[in-house]
Amino acid sequence: MTATVRLGDSLKNMLGIEGLYTVEIGHNVFETIVSLGIKPELVAMVSVNDELQSKDYVIEEGDAIRLMAVIGGG
Amino acid sequence: MNGYAGKILRVNLTTGTFTKEPTPADLARDFIGGRGFGIYFLLKEVPKGADPLGPENKLIISSGPISGMMIPGGGKCDWTTKAPLTGGYAGASMGGHFTAEMRYAGLDSIILEGISPKPVYLFIDNDRIELRDASDLWGKTTFVVEKQFKEKLGEEYQIATIGPGGENMVSYACINHDYGRQAGRGGVGAVMGSKKVKAIVLHGTKSIPVADMEAYRKAGMALYKACKDAEGLKEWTTYGTTQVVDWCDQVGALPTRNFSAGSFEGVKGIDGKAMREKIVITDKGCFGCPSPCGKYSRSKKFNSYVEGPEYETIGLMGSNLGIGDIEVVAQANLLCDDLGIDTISAGNAIGWAMECYQKGIFTKKDTDGLDLKFGNVDAIFSLIEKIARKQGLGVLLGEGVKRASKKIGQGTEKFAIHVKGMEQSAYATHNATAMQLAYMTCDVGAHHNRAWAITYDLQVGRDLVTSEKVARVIWLQNFRPMFDVIGGCRLQWVELSIDRDLYVPALEAITGIHRSWEDLEKVGERIWNLTRLYWARENEGFGREWDLPPARFYEDAPTSGATKGQITKIEDLHRLLDMYYEQRGWGSDGLPKPETIDSLGLKVAVA
Repeated sequence: MTATVRLGDSLKNMLGIEGLYTVEIGHNVFETIVSLGIKPELVAMVSVNDELQSKDYVIEEGDAIRLMAVIGGG
Repeated sequence: MNGYAGKILRVNLTTGTFTKEPTPADLARDFIGGRGFGIYFLLKEVPKGADPLGPENKLIISSGPISGMMIPGGGKCDWTTKAPLTGGYAGASMGGHFTAEMRYAGLDSIILEGISPKPVYLFIDNDRIELRDASDLWGKTTFVVEKQFKEKLGEEYQIATIGPGGENMVSYACINHDYGRQAGRGGVGAVMGSKKVKAIVLHGTKSIPVADMEAYRKAGMALYKACKDAEGLKEWTTYGTTQVVDWCDQVGALPTRNFSAGSFEGVKGIDGKAMREKIVITDKGCFGCPSPCGKYSRSKKFNSYVEGPEYETIGLMGSNLGIGDIEVVAQANLLCDDLGIDTISAGNAIGWAMECYQKGIFTKKDTDGLDLKFGNVDAIFSLIEKIARKQGLGVLLGEGVKRASKKIGQGTEKFAIHVKGMEQSAYATHNATAMQLAYMTCDVGAHHNRAWAITYDLQVGRDLVTSEKVARVIWLQNFRPMFDVIGGCRLQWVELSIDRDLYVPALEAITGIHRSWEDLEKVGERIWNLTRLYWARENEGFGREWDLPPARFYEDAPTSGATKGQITKIEDLHRLLDMYYEQRGWGSDGLPKPETIDSLGLKVAVA
């Protein structure tokens, strides 16, 4: 019972890591981000199956999650 | 000259005459265009001590070599002048389609000089250039004026116009274009109003010479492909700048109740999702843009349409005023745009007045009877109108928070949120030292666009005071504003993470001159030093004290939200400045050293 988490290019570049993970379901995105060793404040947007979600979203079976940073601002 | 329309148009408004001169090749070589041209002309031609609203000041409108070209984001032009808001340098960037049309009319820059004896508008159609009577337009709002011109002349004409705010010379009046794009900051609209120029209307059909057409085609296509393939394109296009509202709230950067905190309990009512679901009806981009961040919105509550709001307006007209309803923010946005005043400065000024009222410094006797509590929608709408029309309390607030707080005293300077007289844009900087330094040292005042360093704060530790942070801010200040020099939009690089090196062959193909990013950053550094020298020339005693932020950011720790109890000490701010000045080659007084001016080859420019 897993889902995938992929880091967006901006976050990958910022953290200098490859950024593709298989994660367990039943946890929210915030907890999952922390468990991956990523500072939650660096993640500006969470996309789940191409829909924007908050970090409170509880991960379900088969979810494709993408985490994105804000790199530059307006 | 490849990459340039070839002419600079001077409009002497006092005599009603025009001159065209060739765009100087050495100017193009050394300063490229945009704000590079702007600061060069400002420093050379506007005499020391000129009244920003007097005949000696000039309004310099400049494109860059990628303006109007098939390069993503090639729709930017720069408006430079001596700022009525600050008394220093103003360089405001405007998107839309104006700059492309200006280049097609054969013009790299337009310089407005003197003062017209009566209201006029500048009409340009290729080589036909006229000053036409604008008496019947004076007093009208921006949307009315633009619509009137479009209906009369046709959609192909591009219009930049001021509203009542500019006519009344409100210190932060803006210039509007394309029903929702602005040259927003510093009071460029007040300068246009002081010159009695209601609008610039232009159309052109000329072409721009290109050094290598095939290389240009390839480089342009590579840039568009990079944008199209960018991972974040869908989210960026869906939400635009509003994608950061929630994030700013979570990290304590969302200005709340006059920057007294950085997190807002009503954020869900004004975030990107609320906006998209409640009011957005379509996306809207500038010239040649593959990733339109503009959102066109309809408020059912107010039965109105507006482009926006974007993040800065949501921060300043929303959370900063205690407003948690995106429709109210959109309506405030509409009023400011239509009346022609900057939403960022206006949101700050109203926030400052609300805090004065909350503290009992202002009573209803001072507010024209308005109950100026945070969150009072009617009071906000009323104050926007009063500011633009210079009525009642609006007269004081229209001067900007620096001057207003100096007049009122009673400690209000501590929560007048500005640097160098320019109100701070929408990032609360309690305990974010790199972002704070970026605001402190920005060349127009407290504006974010030159260096946006807050993610770097979060990445490396927000309270750290290190030379690496200072170096990062300087690098951003040299690099990011180069988009305003070449006439492009930085958001494709910023938000889509496209490789900045893709711009190098494009610029070379257009101009025939190879410039690496290191070369471009050197130009950025030269321009940065020139703007600093301009501030010093125009302001007696200019230096370190001018770089300090309001006491709110080193004395008043927020009592709620993500940055509760967090503050940067004043000693640390001075340490940041010490390192910044040293790395810039400036003295401890904050002024460029003679050897720095010399090494950057600026002796001639400042002579």
